[in-house]
Amino acid sequence: MQSYWFGDMENGRCRPCSGNAADLADRLLSLHTSMDRFVPPDWTIARDCGFCRDRADYLAKLRDVCVVVAKRRIREKYRQKDTELLQMVRTLDELDTVINLLSGRVMEWYQIRQPSFSRKYRRTPARSLVRTIGQRSGGALGRVVGDVERLSETRTMLARDVSGRADAVMPNCSALIGGLVTARLLLHAGGLGPLARLPGSAIQVLGARTALFSHLRAGTPSPKHGIIFQHRRVHNAPRQVRGRVARVLAAQLAIAARVDFYRGAIAPEFIEQAQARIDAAGRVP
Amino acid sequence: MIRVDGVLVSRGEGGVYGERMLGDLRVWDPYRSKLAALYYLGKGIDLEPGMRVLYLGAAHGTTVSHVADYAEVVYAVEFAPRPVQDLLEVARRRSNVVPIMADAAQPEQYAPLLEPVDLIYQDVAQPDQAAIALRNCAFLRRGGTLVLMLKTRSVDVRREPVLVFSDAVSELGSAGLMVRDSTWLAPYHHDHAAIICAKERTTA
Repeated sequence: MQSYWFGDMENGRCRPCSGNAADLADRLLSLHTSMDRFVPPDWTIARDCGFCRDRADYLAKLRDVCVVVAKRRIREKYRQKDTELLQMVRTLDELDTVINLLSGRVMEWYQIRQPSFSRKYRRTPARSLVRTIGQRSGGALGRVVGDVERLSETRTMLARDVSGRADAVMPNCSALIGGLVTARLLLHAGGLGPLARLPGSAIQVLGARTALFSHLRAGTPSPKHGIIFQHRRVHNAPRQVRGRVARVLAAQLAIAARVDFYRGAIAPEFIEQAQARIDAAGRVP
Repeated sequence: MIRVDGVLVSRGEGGVYGERMLGDLRVWDPYRSKLAALYYLGKGIDLEPGMRVLYLGAAHGTTVSHVADYAEVVYAVEFAPRPVQDLLEVARRRSNVVPIMADAAQPEQYAPLLEPVDLIYQDVAQPDQAAIALRNCAFLRRGGTLVLMLKTRSVDVRREPVLVFSDAVSELGSAGLMVRDSTWLAPYHHDHAAIICAKERTTA
């Protein structure tokens, strides 16, 4: 028996389907077709067995079914827990870029208004400097400073949200390296599924693309770490063991990502073992 | 194909992606669409009013909309959810576009939906582009045409595009397709080649 979207064919006889587009879509998703010697049916078969009136009717029904299926598949994809997290991390990174750009611009602008102003020998961090500039300036400059400050608040809130969401979506990875770094790993891998399928060696250099390709092409030294450098146990590690910490951490993350993807719950005994291994790697002999 | 003073156009409802109009004709830009580039290079096969087209890698449906202006029906296959949202909108306004959300590398996913087609047009960013085309040739009627837009950089960024191209041509040829013509899409698109094949009437 060969099944098509409009019905089943058996020994030259055709049994048409009935029901609306949603019913046909349900049936379609349950079909299993083999491409081995598959012969696509002519549309006239559907007409002759009474499924549709004419060509226009055939195409209209087919389109309705396809639209229902596509909408369902899109909804399914977007329901996956990591989809929104990806957008949140991207927004967070872009907020950082915008805030830095605008802060720099504000200071350059202020220097024109206040020729005696200089950033040299100042202890004040850039953020409070910007705020001071805002208090002393009116007009558009003051308003821009206000916007930068509001963006900074949004950024702080969003960072908290990202971290919380990462804890919920990827509890094991977050337990090892924290929510923010986990979310960035997720972004570079392109999703939880792809991340869970990466080997530890790839996770180790995620985000070090330029260094990796110059290594592969020109034979420069290979990168020791990508995003995971942002985790304190990597960037605080003494130079001579930093590569080892990165490698062990990445290997444990590869396992953690798989637990996150396939089980979706925290595995305390695994976390305990993994933490011990990573800590051991950081000890200088 | 319709040309107005050398400018390639198609006849249909405009405003799909902000394309320029010449009266009620939609300008089909060779720098945006690889298929349009192929026509500007004098190589493409003409789209006829009765044609049934299987379009693999439909993306946002911009080129699809032009193909639909010429052909009878376009089966537009696209996998990624965000482009499909746009494709659905194009299909809503064009009754001869059938949007299929599926992976072109797995034709069994959408095989029950298709009928034999006269033309397969493929433009997918995958490493195994020739293999994907061959798997889909089951839907091509005998005497039909395959237009494969080979993105050599998607096959292998590190290999010479010329080598990737000759590999693809021999892969298609040894699988029983007749390679009729091929061309690089320069100056419109870089590192992209078009391979035009025919499924012979006698072969299986």
